[in-house]
Amino acid sequence: MKTKFLLLLAIIGVVAAATFSTHMVRAQAAPRRIEVTAKRFAYDPGEITLKKGQPVVLVLKSADVAHGLRFRELNLNAKIDKGSAAELSFTPDKVGDYVGHCSVFCGSGHGEMTLTLHVVE
Amino acid sequence: MRLPRLLSAVILSVGMAGCKASPPSNFEAKTVTFAKHHVFIGNKSQKNPLPNTPENWADGKEAFSHYCVACHGMDGQNTGVPFVDHISPPIPSLASEGVQRYTDGQLKWILDNGIWPSGMPGSKGTLSDDELWAIIIFLRHLPPAGSQGVPDMYTH
Repeated sequence: MKTKFLLLLAIIGVVAAATFSTHMVRAQAAPRRIEVTAKRFAYDPGEITLKKGQPVVLVLKSADVAHGLRFRELNLNAKIDKGSAAELSFTPDKVGDYVGHCSVFCGSGHGEMTLTLHVVE
Repeated sequence: MRLPRLLSAVILSVGMAGCKASPPSNFEAKTVTFAKHHVFIGNKSQKNPLPNTPENWADGKEAFSHYCVACHGMDGQNTGVPFVDHISPPIPSLASEGVQRYTDGQLKWILDNGIWPSGMPGSKGTLSDDELWAIIIFLRHLPPAGSQGVPDMYTH
């Protein structure tokens, strides 16, 4: 009887440990998803604060024509087609401000269409 | 009643004669070129922050293709631009000595502000600084004249 009880305890322990550790790994790896809407000639939101080392996915949508988003310093570029979402996945590894520009010509204010990322500790 | 009409016609004809687009004389061209290089076009000492790499050249070519090509052609040398011989002051070839003699900073100034009263518009706000500097890399290494074909807008 005692052996059975110990065995049961061991099984519960293993299952609990496995569940908990999976949860931990998932919690660590799950990237932060942030929706960004592009519309001539601005992004909404126009500024985003990120934590250094935290994986992030920018989910990019357009409310009008095709746009793009490029961070030259981060070597990131995405084209946002009208009617479909694009994603930029990355993990910022340096503290600082990064300014992204629209990378698909969209009209007279294209050059002023920017999104600023503030990466903090 | 007839006299005012006749007078109006004469005044209009004289006025329109002044609007004729004739090429500038040698003296005019030299004076204006000197003034542009030494007086009007500033920003002589600013350096291009982008290095000359194939990627930046390609970015410049792409940015140039948005609307610069309407007047300058795909090659920057007016290839395929239908009105190139009917405009005054004339549209220069961007490979010409007169253009290439500008410093990178001056070219950036021209791209930002345009050149009044020529037809050259400013592009500040329409293109980003990165795109404008990339265009300058493209301008410094233009493809051979005629090698890029005719701008799309003139092929329909």
